[in-house]
Amino acid sequence: MSRLLRRLVLIPPVLLAVSVPVFALPRLTGADPVRTVLRTRVASEVPDPAVQARVAADFGLDGSPVTQYLHWLGAALRGDLGLSFVTRTPVAAAIGSALLVSGLLAVLALALAAAVGLPAGVHAARRPGGPLDKALTGAGILGVAVPEFVLAPVLVLVFAVGAGVVPAVGWGSPRHLILPVVTLAVYPAALAAQLVRAETVDVLARPHVRTARANGLAPARVLWRHAARLSTTSVLALSGMFTAGLIGGSVVVEVVFGIPGLGRVLHDAVLAQDLPMIQAGTLTVVAVALLAGVLAEAVQLALDPVAR
Amino acid sequence: MRYAPAAGLLLVLGGPFFLPDPVAADFGAILAGPSPAHLLGTDQLGRDVLARLLVGARLTLGLTASTLAVTAAAGTLLGLVAGWTGARVLVRLADILAALPTILLGLLTAAVLGPGTASIAVAIGAVGWTPFTRQAYHLTVREAGRDYVTAARSLGAGPARVLIRHIAPNIAAPLVAHLCTRFAGTLLTVSGLSFLGLGVQPPAPEWGAMVADGRAYLVSAPHLVLAPAAAVVLTATLATVLGRRSIAPNQ
Repeated sequence: MSRLLRRLVLIPPVLLAVSVPVFALPRLTGADPVRTVLRTRVASEVPDPAVQARVAADFGLDGSPVTQYLHWLGAALRGDLGLSFVTRTPVAAAIGSALLVSGLLAVLALALAAAVGLPAGVHAARRPGGPLDKALTGAGILGVAVPEFVLAPVLVLVFAVGAGVVPAVGWGSPRHLILPVVTLAVYPAALAAQLVRAETVDVLARPHVRTARANGLAPARVLWRHAARLSTTSVLALSGMFTAGLIGGSVVVEVVFGIPGLGRVLHDAVLAQDLPMIQAGTLTVVAVALLAGVLAEAVQLALDPVAR
Repeated sequence: MRYAPAAGLLLVLGGPFFLPDPVAADFGAILAGPSPAHLLGTDQLGRDVLARLLVGARLTLGLTASTLAVTAAAGTLLGLVAGWTGARVLVRLADILAALPTILLGLLTAAVLGPGTASIAVAIGAVGWTPFTRQAYHLTVREAGRDYVTAARSLGAGPARVLIRHIAPNIAAPLVAHLCTRFAGTLLTVSGLSFLGLGVQPPAPEWGAMVADGRAYLVSAPHLVLAPAAAVVLTATLATVLGRRSIAPNQ
């Protein structure tokens, strides 16, 4: 328990430390942020100095870099993350709604991956080297090797363009969720199946399984109650492994399917040099990754008595 | 299967001699499907897709192999030294960095350096060494307790000699298997970042950039997406399978 608390307490200082390079690095490109703000709205090459001064004041771009950072940090601690250079609306509100969208996507994808990947791994372990194991192992290798940016257009081609059963892009109805969630779930499902298979093969060779068999329990009962329970919980304890892949995958999925999530907001911000959005978006992703790490450790502690 | 990488390399290096010019526009055949003149069809400017794929292979695979070579060598060396000296700090740092998605770093480096090969290389370099360090560390710690290491040390071998002549050969096999897996992962990162417009830019026939470029013609000319997509998946699968075989040759 104290280990979890210590990791939770460490998150704010880590975020503070990360905020310095996240604030400073995108400003090292040499591009004047004031010009970035104006270029998005005004076509003329040299803006009026008075206009430049007002934009600098409005977006907190006046003063030395250190004062700019301290101003931004002070406002950020009060929940004000500044104004977007592109939309000129508050960044905090945009990040908040995008986080909800990405969170929904990630939770649904993880649930689907667990529902498919865990039983598939157990079934494959029933007869190692058998036809079912070979087929599932092959599917697992392919599932890890197919990236989201390949899977998404192929699924759109088959199910939206070809069969016409789901919409190709967009956001708003439950039907819009199907292709993005499936795309995002394939990698964690394949990874989970591989891990569960290896664990289950391992567990099936242990003495308690032999005892259960010798006592005359039905093979299915031995497999699911005595082996699968152990092997799936030990894989769930590794769930931290899935976070980085899921965050990276959601950037691609959100860009391809036009979903207003955090990954797409960050991607668009980078391409538009929208500094306040880059800063807030990056810090949010880092915070989510760190929190997911703590959550994974909590799951491990809850499930694995040895680690406790 | 064993000769597939060699055959692929031969195709990439020798193929362009027998194929149409990858930048020559054939305006008579725009968005054409596969034909004897253009085996994988042509793109929106009438350029030969197969020729572009093979030229793009040098970009995609070259960038993958070079970033991987640097990160694997540096990461393994750090892991060996950390394992021998017991410097757990390095492994903790690797653990923290490994939790960061490479795509996020790619976004940041693209914001700083501008999208391009340099931003990809920096993003992969920043985290690519961590899996090698972690694995080399754990393997070295395991081997350091073995009798043959004690024997070598009592014969007067120094740390560098023990690490390089005795421990390194004994932990090479799992590290090579890991290298194959990471080749697949790095390839997907390189082409994924280029797909997002954060890496190699679209006129260059990088595979991920080609998929992104072809998406506008997904309905009228699906081969523009499917051909580079198949190249990515085939190469990644091949690397994964080779990695698994080098661990368990009988499977």
